[in-house]
Amino acid sequence: MRYRVWHRTTYSYDGDVTDSFGVAYLVPRELPWQIRSSSELVVEPEQADRSQDTDYYGNLATYFQVTTRHQRLQVTGTSEVEVHTPAYDLEALAVPWEQARPAVRPELPDAWRASDFALPSPLVDQPDPVKTYAAQSFSPQRPLSEAVTDLMHRIHADFDYEPGATTVTSTIGEVLDKKAGVCQDFAHLALAGLRAHGLAARYVSGYLSTAPPPGRERVVGADASHAWVAVWVPGPAGRREQWLAIDPTNDTWVDDRYVTVAWGRDYGDVPPLKGVIFTESEKSTLLVEVDVEPLG
Amino acid sequence: MTAGLSLPSLPALPSLPALQQYAAGLTQPMLSGGPAAYDEVMLPDGSLRPAWKGLAEVAVTLTDTDLRRVDREIRRFLENDGVSYARPGEDQGPWRLDAIPFVVDAAEWAPLEVGLAQRAELLNAILVDLYGAQRLLSERVLPPGVVYSHPGFLRVMARPSAHDPRPLVLAATDLGRDATGAWRVLADRTQAPSGMGYAMENRRVMSRVLPELYREASLHRMGPFFSALRSALMQCADDEVADPRVVVLSPGTHSETAYDQAFLASNLGFPLVQGSDLVVRRGAVWLRSMGQLEPVHVILRRVDASWSDPLELRKNSQLGVVGLTEAVRRGSVRVVNGLGSGVLENPALLPYLEAACSLLLREPLRLKSVPTWWCGEEDGLTRVLDGLASGEELTIREVDSSRSLTGQPVAELRRRIIAEPARHVGQQRLPLSQAPIYDGDRIRPQAVTLRTFTLRYGSAYRPLVGGLASAAGGGTGGNPTKDVWVLKSEPTESDQGLGEVMPIAAGQVPIAMVPRVLEHMFWIGRYSERTETLLRLVLATHTHAEDFRDRPQSAGSGSLAVLLDAHARLAGAPSSSEDHDAYFRSILLQPGRAGSVAQSLNSMREAAEGVRDQLSGDIWRSLSAIERAAADLDVSPHSHQVSECAGRMLGGVLAVYGVTANMMRDPGWHMIEAGRALERGLQLALLLRSATVRHGIDVDRLVLNALLTTSESWVTHRRRYRGYLRSATVLELLLKDETNPRSLAFALGELQRHLAAMPTSTGSTRPERLLDDVVEHLRDIDVTTLVAIGGANRPNLEHYLDGLYEHLTRIGSAIDEFHLAGGPLPRSFGVLRGVPR
Repeated sequence: MRYRVWHRTTYSYDGDVTDSFGVAYLVPRELPWQIRSSSELVVEPEQADRSQDTDYYGNLATYFQVTTRHQRLQVTGTSEVEVHTPAYDLEALAVPWEQARPAVRPELPDAWRASDFALPSPLVDQPDPVKTYAAQSFSPQRPLSEAVTDLMHRIHADFDYEPGATTVTSTIGEVLDKKAGVCQDFAHLALAGLRAHGLAARYVSGYLSTAPPPGRERVVGADASHAWVAVWVPGPAGRREQWLAIDPTNDTWVDDRYVTVAWGRDYGDVPPLKGVIFTESEKSTLLVEVDVEPLG
Repeated sequence: MTAGLSLPSLPALPSLPALQQYAAGLTQPMLSGGPAAYDEVMLPDGSLRPAWKGLAEVAVTLTDTDLRRVDREIRRFLENDGVSYARPGEDQGPWRLDAIPFVVDAAEWAPLEVGLAQRAELLNAILVDLYGAQRLLSERVLPPGVVYSHPGFLRVMARPSAHDPRPLVLAATDLGRDATGAWRVLADRTQAPSGMGYAMENRRVMSRVLPELYREASLHRMGPFFSALRSALMQCADDEVADPRVVVLSPGTHSETAYDQAFLASNLGFPLVQGSDLVVRRGAVWLRSMGQLEPVHVILRRVDASWSDPLELRKNSQLGVVGLTEAVRRGSVRVVNGLGSGVLENPALLPYLEAACSLLLREPLRLKSVPTWWCGEEDGLTRVLDGLASGEELTIREVDSSRSLTGQPVAELRRRIIAEPARHVGQQRLPLSQAPIYDGDRIRPQAVTLRTFTLRYGSAYRPLVGGLASAAGGGTGGNPTKDVWVLKSEPTESDQGLGEVMPIAAGQVPIAMVPRVLEHMFWIGRYSERTETLLRLVLATHTHAEDFRDRPQSAGSGSLAVLLDAHARLAGAPSSSEDHDAYFRSILLQPGRAGSVAQSLNSMREAAEGVRDQLSGDIWRSLSAIERAAADLDVSPHSHQVSECAGRMLGGVLAVYGVTANMMRDPGWHMIEAGRALERGLQLALLLRSATVRHGIDVDRLVLNALLTTSESWVTHRRRYRGYLRSATVLELLLKDETNPRSLAFALGELQRHLAAMPTSTGSTRPERLLDDVVEHLRDIDVTTLVAIGGANRPNLEHYLDGLYEHLTRIGSAIDEFHLAGGPLPRSFGVLRGVPR
């Protein structure tokens, strides 16, 4: 599938801002199953300085600084991508989950790098209850993809999608207590459960193309950024690693409806946009509009 | 030359040389029966170690009396230089330096020096590897968790674009001796190593208090090392920069090592700045100086990396520079040490250093670390838990904190380790060596550690031949430290082995005229003036109070009430329970009392600390003289001590004038003088309100006299008016007389002059416009109109003074806004969340 992804963030302030610095993760990665044919990022007012860099995890990070005095900052990313459903080596997916832990497979050439995603990260700690919750899916010798898929099913079944149930500072423990959250919470929860079992898993930031309800027109700008997780799958002897991508929010493996932008240990590594402003202004309002338009 | 000392037959008399007593103590059978620790001065047989033999002639004759003198002088010197140190979470306290140096001879130093140089080279290679190819991880030399879980590993600096071949410029190493007397590394300090400023200060003091010993010891002077450091920092700039600008980035005066930072900055000749003084534009770092931006090429960083950039690191930090990480990645600025260097402070690296050394340097590691086990590995965890269970002396540390968990019960330690094994290491507790430390009474052995400093100079790492020794152990306040004397192998050896380094050019430190610095300068001026006026008022009033006590019905008691009113305006009214003596003492001594002398002095000291690198050291001498006067009053109950103390404090404040009189006539000086002039006007407006109410001719005379005294114009008035004393003459002299330096007219003229001298002034800036109005109004006003009587009062004068005060306050705010405002603080964008689908 081909898509045009349009993502606009608008900040409005009640006073002048003299300086805005920002870092954006809005340009989709190039992947074996994803081709980026074009990408454009527009900052208004026009930035005085800007650069694009490949970050530690290979994502494209855009840095910018606006020095024009402003009361509204708008950052718009537009990209065209072609996405295929990732193909997996089924033999590798069937490995007993215990054998997919980088710490017990140090002899594998990719294991050391994958370890980064098996450790607790700033937004994904591993309280005991999360390990207990996930444990049910990890019976001994269960094939990796089966265990991971089971965990995904259970999160989807046990937790309500409920915007406002959590905030950005909510911990894994709070999400567990409330049994509700949004896509980031479910991704973080899945990460915590997987990592608590020694598996390596990363947070993936991107978009999901959604079909409009039957008989209704597609509403431009009503989509959202999305988040899911990908689990490390060690290659059988001589073959390279793979990452099995699953979406606990929608209870499905990731397919050609998913546009991958960036990945990291958790949300904090790859937020679509973060920044710092210099202002005496007290109030700001935030508007985020996303549109994932299928191009056929 | 004295060989060994004959011991222990000598009687312990007070006149006995102190080291002999020390040695005698050491050879006493130990009560505990344990093995004697390695002693830095004495051999087990009671004779001096080789390093001390050369010093024996002088050292051995030092008696307790000498040591008491030396100790007292050290305290006095440190106090005069205002040397302070704060343990984390505590207030600044005095820095402590022991009377007996820590002496190392050339033969012992040589292997240590090689070991330190190798270690710094290894640490640099580890940094380059971890932020680049990560061979240490891929070849399984280091467990990934040691690196990936450590907050010092900054992924924003581990990008291909951020390549830095020499991220480690300066390392500090903490050393202690093991049971065999060999040096072992206790910790590596690479984030922002502190202590070099203290080491310099220690040496400066020791060379003054023990000149004979210092001369006799053929020891390495430290000067060339600091010249090399300066030169190394300049060379950190891009080769294409002809005249690189280096700054020292400090977290501010509340930092535990604020003194160290300021001392180092001013001795290296680099400006001391804070994060808000710097700004990023076009991916480069600039200094906000007098409304202009000046490029910065090298930053010697004393702010921990995680606080250095709220954009890409800790987002709520107010200590950093927004965009610094990006500027570093682009190579437009070098940060020393590199932002990612904190990863090396992880004690969990220590068990793997030998293997890392073979991989990266292909050499054996020379300087061993204290035996350490990382609990993130099965073997390490078992070793540490077994050790704890068997009662072994282990130090448990968290990998991301420099303090140990010593003192916690074993059960608690176990609980913590088992909950988060990868966050903990266990370390063998070394016996450490002992050295004689003078405790104010005699010298006693105390365990010591040694901090050394290693610099990348040219293509090699060179340790400072010297260092900082400290007594180990807890307790509040700083532990005593020792100057480290490394002796030369022969007198002709060049200092630091660095004969060729250009000495630091003498001359003024380039001043960073950032708004923050100007603000501190302005308040130094204001507080010194405020203090002076209040001290003079206390002196003038105190005589009246003494009078009143002896003759309550006299005119003096009437004038006392009027003058206490003036006090109340300047420093708050006495509380109902306070008698006069208590009130004056409180004004002089209580920093908690708003408007008190003590509060103004504290604020002045704080302002001065903020620009310590730019002020002559004389300022601390003056301030400590004031503090000594205050301390004396605090312990003396006699009433006459109040004026005695106020007089001594006034002397100290006047000395501050002397210090600023010798400053370069730069914008900083102009701001001090502007602050003084403005404050003088404000104080006059408050003071002269005492002349607006009439109390009868005798009382009024006394009040006018006191006002003249307080305004330091009594002599002038007498000369000019020959004893003819009226409100009109006093006001003429104190308000309108442009030739009287204590008058309002003079103060306003000074304020005009100093504001005009600011590079950003145009003649029509808001502070200047407001000031012109006050000047014109004063010129137009007629003293005979001012003194006109209405009822019991002088309403015109009252009205004028109130208006004056208000107007001058407005000028103060205008100066603040125009010259001193640093702009708004950085704030993070509102946080974005996934929006419902």
